[in-house]
Amino acid sequence: MVVHRDQPSLHHVDVIIIGGGLTGLRAALQLSRAGRSCALLSKVHPLRSHSVAAQGGMNASLGNVPGTEGATDSWERHAYDTVKGSDYLADQNAVVRMCREAPATVIELEHMGTVWSQLEDGKIAQRPFGGAGFPRTCYAADRTGHNILHTLYEQVTAEKIPVYEEFFVTSLVTAGGRCTGCTALEIMTGTIHGFCAKATLLATGGFGRIFSRSTNAIINTGDGQALALRAGASLKDMEFVQFHPTSLLGSNILISEAARGEGGVLVNKNGERFMTRYAPRSADLAPRDVVARAIENEIAAGRGFDGGYVHLDLRHIGEERIRERLPGIRLIAMDFAGVDPVTEPIPVQPAQHYSMGGIDVGIEGQSGIPGLYAAGECACISVHGANRLGGNSLLETVVFGRLVAASIIRALPSEPVPADGPVLSAVQEMEAKVSGILGKSGGEQLFTVIDSLKETMNTKFGIFREGNSMEKGLAEISALRERAGNISISDKNRAANQALVRYLELEYMFPVAEATALGAIQRKESRGSHTRTDYPARDDDRFLFHTITRNLNGKIAVSSAPVTLGMFTPEERVY
Amino acid sequence: MMLKVFRFSPGMEKPRYDTFAIEPAPGKTVLAALFEAQSRYDDSLAFRYSCRGAVCGTCAMLINRVPRLACRTRLGALSAGDSDPPHSHYDLPHLTEPWDKKEEVLVEPLPNLPVIKDLIVDMDEFFTRYRSVEPVFRPGGPDPEKERLMTPEAVRELERYTTCILCAACFAACPVNGKNPRYTGPAALAKLYRFHIDPREQQGPARLRTADTPDGWWACEFHTNCRRVCPKDVPPDKAIGHARQELKDLKKKETGPGGDGA
Repeated sequence: MVVHRDQPSLHHVDVIIIGGGLTGLRAALQLSRAGRSCALLSKVHPLRSHSVAAQGGMNASLGNVPGTEGATDSWERHAYDTVKGSDYLADQNAVVRMCREAPATVIELEHMGTVWSQLEDGKIAQRPFGGAGFPRTCYAADRTGHNILHTLYEQVTAEKIPVYEEFFVTSLVTAGGRCTGCTALEIMTGTIHGFCAKATLLATGGFGRIFSRSTNAIINTGDGQALALRAGASLKDMEFVQFHPTSLLGSNILISEAARGEGGVLVNKNGERFMTRYAPRSADLAPRDVVARAIENEIAAGRGFDGGYVHLDLRHIGEERIRERLPGIRLIAMDFAGVDPVTEPIPVQPAQHYSMGGIDVGIEGQSGIPGLYAAGECACISVHGANRLGGNSLLETVVFGRLVAASIIRALPSEPVPADGPVLSAVQEMEAKVSGILGKSGGEQLFTVIDSLKETMNTKFGIFREGNSMEKGLAEISALRERAGNISISDKNRAANQALVRYLELEYMFPVAEATALGAIQRKESRGSHTRTDYPARDDDRFLFHTITRNLNGKIAVSSAPVTLGMFTPEERVY
Repeated sequence: MMLKVFRFSPGMEKPRYDTFAIEPAPGKTVLAALFEAQSRYDDSLAFRYSCRGAVCGTCAMLINRVPRLACRTRLGALSAGDSDPPHSHYDLPHLTEPWDKKEEVLVEPLPNLPVIKDLIVDMDEFFTRYRSVEPVFRPGGPDPEKERLMTPEAVRELERYTTCILCAACFAACPVNGKNPRYTGPAALAKLYRFHIDPREQQGPARLRTADTPDGWWACEFHTNCRRVCPKDVPPDKAIGHARQELKDLKKKETGPGGDGA
């Protein structure tokens, strides 16, 4: 037994997990059950993670519901839909792994106690989702993320895994080229803690809140991506940002694709079901990139409602089915738009929803920095490529939470025990940095700069992108970054200082925004979610590759990496 | 529209109230108003937030003396005449600040939990009780190869309780929690009941007995505030009532019709 001279604010574990959503919790379980000590750090209580908001479901080829003409589902069909949905940018080895693991993953969650919606025969129910050739999406009404997150949290609680709630990670520590731990601000006290570990897993979710219009929780500011970039790791495919077609007008709260999976239709102000013009076969159940563009087109052509939205009509589904299958959607529409979908259509508009890109990791979840891993939305193992299918993100979190933890477990015996020194000095540096931030006076307003950055991302790097406009956007980001150097905050206390947290989040948002912008500018083609009005076609000859961004001498440099093809050869995407 | 907010930081002898002018806008929520106050007037104003869509359970607070989620409570609805509180009266002796019900919305931290700063309370007490009911699935037998089958009816009944978001609004609205610091409380008891009725568990009465104590099922006085303030329509009072009845029936069976049988 190793005896640590544990100081109150210095902690030693085998593995640090940063993020308490589905990926982080599933990884923690795997590590703990293998006898490994871990510390799970989360800037919110794990049950407040954005995973909780996932509505629609989790894809798995269980085949509980027959397809058309009695066809049976298979992981190969799931993989095909995923790769086609990705516009052929996903790495097919990663897709195959995820789709093969999917049925066992859904079953495993049931075995842990998740309550799935059931068919009459008692099996787990499945419903159709966009871009899928099969009713493949397992669900728990429209609270799938909630049910799974609570299950995994219950398991983690029973395992007595140490959870450091409301700990905001302020830096990753590297020594000799390895990641050996991190520093974190305990938000409620203001204390800076140091964590030493042989391995660190980032599971911090997406960066939707660098956009002003997003379905994401307010906490999704790209912390993990920025931490990785700063530590010397690369990001991958950051320009691929998913815009969900149906967010509630105004608040941009998600209205699940399940609403269309259950039969809901999109209607413009002329009462026309316009999706049949854009996707003759799939109509309202075309993939998200296709539907989001169609809605924007309708609005631009003057066929949207004043204020820039269209209607999502569920009325024909009937009250009983809406109450049974979409109770959460109904509540959201009533609470936040004053609309009961049983009697009125829901006003919807596209909004940022998901980050396909993220920390560049290999098939085992390893980043370019030894000892540093990433999984879930914050990572880009590349199962979603240029566009994610609905129902595949929950799947990714739980599959790769488990698999990446397993690869960490395999690697641990050969990982060196890190020295305390580098973490201790990082804690001191962070102490000085926080004192510096709190010591500043006058200058720029924090919230003004945050809002301006988000607005720039929304207007210049939204659904439709164009070279000149994006160059202007990049210049705006740089100018805002300059201004951010002069921000001061009025709250000078250490404890429960949310302005301080927002300040530190803003520091993370800048490099993430820049990487997204640079990736989007250099990709002179349209693929999946990335739509260039000046380059409207996909260009496999020049751009069938991953975009890699990393820090080079204080600037973000862009390069490329090959896509792993396999079973499926790129072809035109028709829905 | 004015937002009147409870302010407290460690070191203050007693709390104070600050009032912020909020731009009226249709549909504006209390959470949005708090962000506005924080960004325009005072960045030291502290409150918890996350999803802003009433699914994560982070932002429960006392709004016009009723525990609610700040993100789903609209200012307009409050000023348009926030009728009588939806719950039965309970004493909040430490909260006596008056407010102008026509012009102001009053925002205070959840009662029955210690205040850390402003609207942020220490949730440890709440989650300690949650853990005390051992809220983890215990299957009735070895895992089958596939899923365990459940009827849609069983799922429907379970879902009444699995929808709980652990926001602690019920805990804060419960008069028993206010006077008995040992009471398990509505959310934890509802969670316990959720596992008891899970047809995949088959624990018999073992789950019920976890809270067969004066501070468990039997402490409830059926004020039903828990159900009435729940943002997700979870009925802890119903769970408690069913649990008590089942325990009574069990005791009757054990003691037999004679009353004191061995």
